[in-house]
Amino acid sequence: MNLLELKNVSKIYGEVKALQNIELSVAQGEWLAIMGPSGSGKTTMMNIIGCMDKPTHGRVILDGTDISKENAKALTSVRRDKIGLIFQQFHLINYLTALENVMAAQYYHSMQDEKEALEALARVGLARRAKHLPSQLSGGEQQRVCIARALINYPMLILADEPTGNLDETNEKIVLDIFKALHKEGSTIVVVTHDPEVAENTQRTVILEHGKIAKINVNKKINGGNKI
Amino acid sequence: MKKYTFYLKMITSSLFRRRSRMFTALLAVALGAAVLSGLVTIYYDIPRQMGQEFRSYGANIVFIASGEKSYFYDDDLKKAVSYLPAKDIVGITPYRYKTIKINEQPFMAAGTDLEQAQKTSPYWYVSGKWPQKDGEALIGQEVADLIRLKTGSVFSVVGTGADNKPFKRDFTVSAVVQTGGSEEAFIFMSLKDFENMAGGQNALDIAECSVSVSSERLGIIIKSVNENAQGITARPVKRISESEGAVLTKLQALIYLVTAIILILTMICVATTMMAVVAERRKEIGLKKALGATNRMIAAEFLGEDVFLGVFGGLLGAVAGFILAQAVSVNVFARSITFQPLLIPVTIAASIIITAAACFIPVRSAAEVDPAVVLRGE
Ligand SMILES: Nc1ncnc2c1ncn2[C@@H]1O[C@H](COP(=O)(O)OP(=O)(O)O)[C@@H](O)[C@H]1O
Ligand SMILES: [Mg+2]
Repeated sequence: MNLLELKNVSKIYGEVKALQNIELSVAQGEWLAIMGPSGSGKTTMMNIIGCMDKPTHGRVILDGTDISKENAKALTSVRRDKIGLIFQQFHLINYLTALENVMAAQYYHSMQDEKEALEALARVGLARRAKHLPSQLSGGEQQRVCIARALINYPMLILADEPTGNLDETNEKIVLDIFKALHKEGSTIVVVTHDPEVAENTQRTVILEHGKIAKINVNKKINGGNKI
Repeated sequence: MKKYTFYLKMITSSLFRRRSRMFTALLAVALGAAVLSGLVTIYYDIPRQMGQEFRSYGANIVFIASGEKSYFYDDDLKKAVSYLPAKDIVGITPYRYKTIKINEQPFMAAGTDLEQAQKTSPYWYVSGKWPQKDGEALIGQEVADLIRLKTGSVFSVVGTGADNKPFKRDFTVSAVVQTGGSEEAFIFMSLKDFENMAGGQNALDIAECSVSVSSERLGIIIKSVNENAQGITARPVKRISESEGAVLTKLQALIYLVTAIILILTMICVATTMMAVVAERRKEIGLKKALGATNRMIAAEFLGEDVFLGVFGGLLGAVAGFILAQAVSVNVFARSITFQPLLIPVTIAASIIITAAACFIPVRSAAEVDPAVVLRGE
């Protein structure tokens, strides 16, 4: 069953056609990469999938419901309940500690739970950094807090926009390993990346150009050989 | 753990971990609250202040002899005074006058009750000590200048007594007085010294009286004194009592106006500060919305911060406002004001309301931030 379907989706900003007639479906448990040059519409697509923006034309079906016609309030609740977001610029709340940042996601979702938040941090290897403010954490650590936060409410779909774009090699590997583990556990992941090494681990890679899907690469190594 | 505990945690963290930012907002609120509470304090204190102030401009009743006699007796005065409301009497000062000469230059000697004189003429500026002992005198600045006398100097007074006999007495200057009026050409001494020098018993030329009542009541009182008393007439000292009310009203209106302007300025100041704070936090708001925060939750967080700012700013402002009002009162009216405990909760409540009102627009725009701003880089 497809968790996500984009049907003839277009997004137009005045003169700029950021997305044009996109047709794409993502299966439950799939790990999909989106690649493409800067300005090709990757972030626009993530915003639409992540319920942060609406398409100009077309339909977006997430978990069986059409979200393309919903109002802002309904989109907020879909986003809260079904989506986990990871950003390139980390985006932590700078006056909250790592733990509190994770708990904030719980708070907006339903109810904060310190123990569970701590476990999520432990999972990304940051149990000992729980009481640190973002300014006291390295870039890699901040990104891991973001991942812990994205996972805390058990989202159906994890969206990551260039999650390793601002990281060094060591941290990139740590983050990639977390994604691999998530995929193995059955999470559905859509990741925007410039990094072929990240794309190599995914099942399919969508290449965007000028707002259109130029190509879809199916990774035979992974699909066929069960390599993860 | 309750949900609101995390809400409080976020608000307090935002306030205390972003100290330098919040300090500006706090300062804006506190400053506004200070000026407001200060002005309100002065506003309500003015009638009291000015009442005392006007009273301190001296007597508002003067007693003089009636009929063909040019003097009246102590007993006449006592009887007349009995028609005044006892609790409102600030002071009653009898005077006897006589022309005397010092160094061949004519001056006026006044015998009076020195203690009462301090009450009916509190605005006298006395450099030195009021006479304590027999033979001490308080001289006007003009006298001091003309004869070159200063505190501690001894001078001789000559004149003709009640029995037409010449007299000569020595006095020590205990102090020099400035009044800005004709009193500066006078030599003041106790009634006892005056009687010893010039003779005559219990006869008075005038008496000044200061009564703390409104100008309408003063008229009624004076009328009843004049209907009942004998050998003596009471007259209002019009100059001050009548202008009192008018000046008060004008002053209060002025303060009222200033308070209203300050209130508007404060709101603009807090509103712009808050707008800057919101603008600066657009990314954070977008992030929170991306995490699933509803508009109401965002608004609630900002309002919570505003309430904290209002409470702390209001508290600071109430204290600072009292100090301000005190400083104004001491410098302008030369009197201290009484502290109004009620003003603290009122100022805090006002600060919260003002802050919340000032934040209404920025908070609304905060809630309207598009979560999509988060994914779009800087
Ligand atoms: N809010 C916006 N208003 C106008 N144009 C936009 C807006 N957001 C994106 N665009 C344009 O849409 C195109 C795609 O942008 P984006 O999705 O951010 O690309 P990518 O993430 O692949 O670099 C770009 O040409 C960009 O300038
Ligand atoms: Mg992008």
